[in-house]
Amino acid sequence: MKTSFVLLVTLLLVAWYLSFSATRLDRLHHRVETSWANLDATLQRRAAIALEIAHLPEIDPATNLILTGAAYGAREAQIFERSDQESGLSGTLQLLLRESDLPELHPEIFTKLEDVTERVRVAVALHVEAVSATKSLREKLVFRVFRLAGTAPLPVKFAFEDDVL
Amino acid sequence: MMAYSPKSSGLRIGMVSPYGWDTPGGVQAHIRDLAKYYIDQGHYVSVLAPVSREESLADDFVVPAGRPISIPYNGAVARVLFGPVAASRVRQWISQGNFDLLHLHEPAIPSLSLLACWIGEGPMVGTFHAAAPKQKVAFAVSPLLEPVIEKLSARIAVSEIARETLTIHLETDAIVIPNGIDVDFFAKSEPKVEWQNGNTIGFIGRFEEPRKGLQILIDALPIISRFVPDVKVLIAGPGESAEILKSTNSQLRSKLSFLGRISEADKGSFLKSIDLYVAPNTGGESFGIILTEALASETAIVASDIPAFRNLLNGGEYGALFESESATELAKVIIDLLRDEQKRKDLANVGHQSAERFDWTQVAEQIMDVYSMALTGGEKVGLVSENRPWNRIFSRDSGQ
Repeated sequence: MKTSFVLLVTLLLVAWYLSFSATRLDRLHHRVETSWANLDATLQRRAAIALEIAHLPEIDPATNLILTGAAYGAREAQIFERSDQESGLSGTLQLLLRESDLPELHPEIFTKLEDVTERVRVAVALHVEAVSATKSLREKLVFRVFRLAGTAPLPVKFAFEDDVL
Repeated sequence: MMAYSPKSSGLRIGMVSPYGWDTPGGVQAHIRDLAKYYIDQGHYVSVLAPVSREESLADDFVVPAGRPISIPYNGAVARVLFGPVAASRVRQWISQGNFDLLHLHEPAIPSLSLLACWIGEGPMVGTFHAAAPKQKVAFAVSPLLEPVIEKLSARIAVSEIARETLTIHLETDAIVIPNGIDVDFFAKSEPKVEWQNGNTIGFIGRFEEPRKGLQILIDALPIISRFVPDVKVLIAGPGESAEILKSTNSQLRSKLSFLGRISEADKGSFLKSIDLYVAPNTGGESFGIILTEALASETAIVASDIPAFRNLLNGGEYGALFESESATELAKVIIDLLRDEQKRKDLANVGHQSAERFDWTQVAEQIMDVYSMALTGGEKVGLVSENRPWNRIFSRDSGQ
């Protein structure tokens, strides 16, 4: 009688814990989706600004080609190669801005670029944090044994260094 | 091609203050200014806070949650509120508020903010203010805090030090956005003649607390007065000065003057009047809002080289640093600056330029950027229990 009672309580506790853990993970997956949507939208905006810059009258054809290429590369990249492509775009923009008087000639568009760069930085930080929280939770024993993540794919880390922006 | 464009005007924002609203403090001041700024911008803001005397509550956007209790925390006494009654107040506030977003301040200490983070669901942003050294207890509680803190859509730390504290204790990262001030107010304050008598050094704070370091400044005074005979130390802040005066020798006593608590308006004049602001704090400081106010007032600063100050003053570029807890080093730096007016002015000038980034117009916009990212999902703030499976089953049953 007593053992069956203990067993019942234990079972209930285990069930509660599993449900609690599943909710936690679900919430984190949701956070990753949101932070990715943010990052994606912000990066798309940055690529659009890069294209705008590429079409400025002062830009020579070679630079235009490089910049347009980098912007399209970033826009159309698959999720796994996205961070590489975006880093490429960052590098190109940096190269362009080095010893250039373009920002003085077109303050409007370069202020926009500065703003969006700041937002990318925040979006990357939020996303990286969400991904690593999710990953570290999914590595815990209870999540692996009971397969609480179900069939959800492991979130892709966005390897984007702050200093390349 | 903007698939996600959350509205950034007319938001309904719920903020939670961990500390008693009627006790003065940096966190409360931060929340008050931020709330007022957003209200001016056309948002709706409601602040849930512990309040000791509801009848003397001046801010109409504050919802009192009950009387705070005093607990020792991080070397000081914190006036916070928690427990089942407080939890039900939080639940009520959230369910009636119809908020787009919750902004929880200091959600990792036992407080209303932690309760709100536990009870709430949806877009939530947390700001971490404290810098605490490694604590055993923090490691003990982190497994309990983790499931709660991970619900935050975004974390903000007010300084690099606060961010490090967060990384060490809770293994999570944060975006650094500094505390805000009204730069114009301090830049345009008028000096008062009574505070400009001789070479004046200013100090603001609860001077009885050892970590504020007033004793170090007093210990440095004999040396300073030998080189700068007309030096005067003006001390503003609440506390009992008799004890300190009694233990100081009679010749120095005349050089100290305790002003007691000064109003916010007087603080501007005070900082404008003095020749040098000294912050001899020995630790426990996360940001140093008073230093940003001194920078905004274009007053030269001497501060101890604790990490928070070193960071804020960019390693000594915007204000002079001295080796923390060393009275002789402090005296040296002060004498050097008091005797060289040009150097003092240059330092104040460089410092003033660095204060711009702390202005609310910049800080509040940065916080709004984080809000808009937290809002991307498009849902509203709700109560966590609404989403639990068993509650869903029960509510379906009762609905039929």
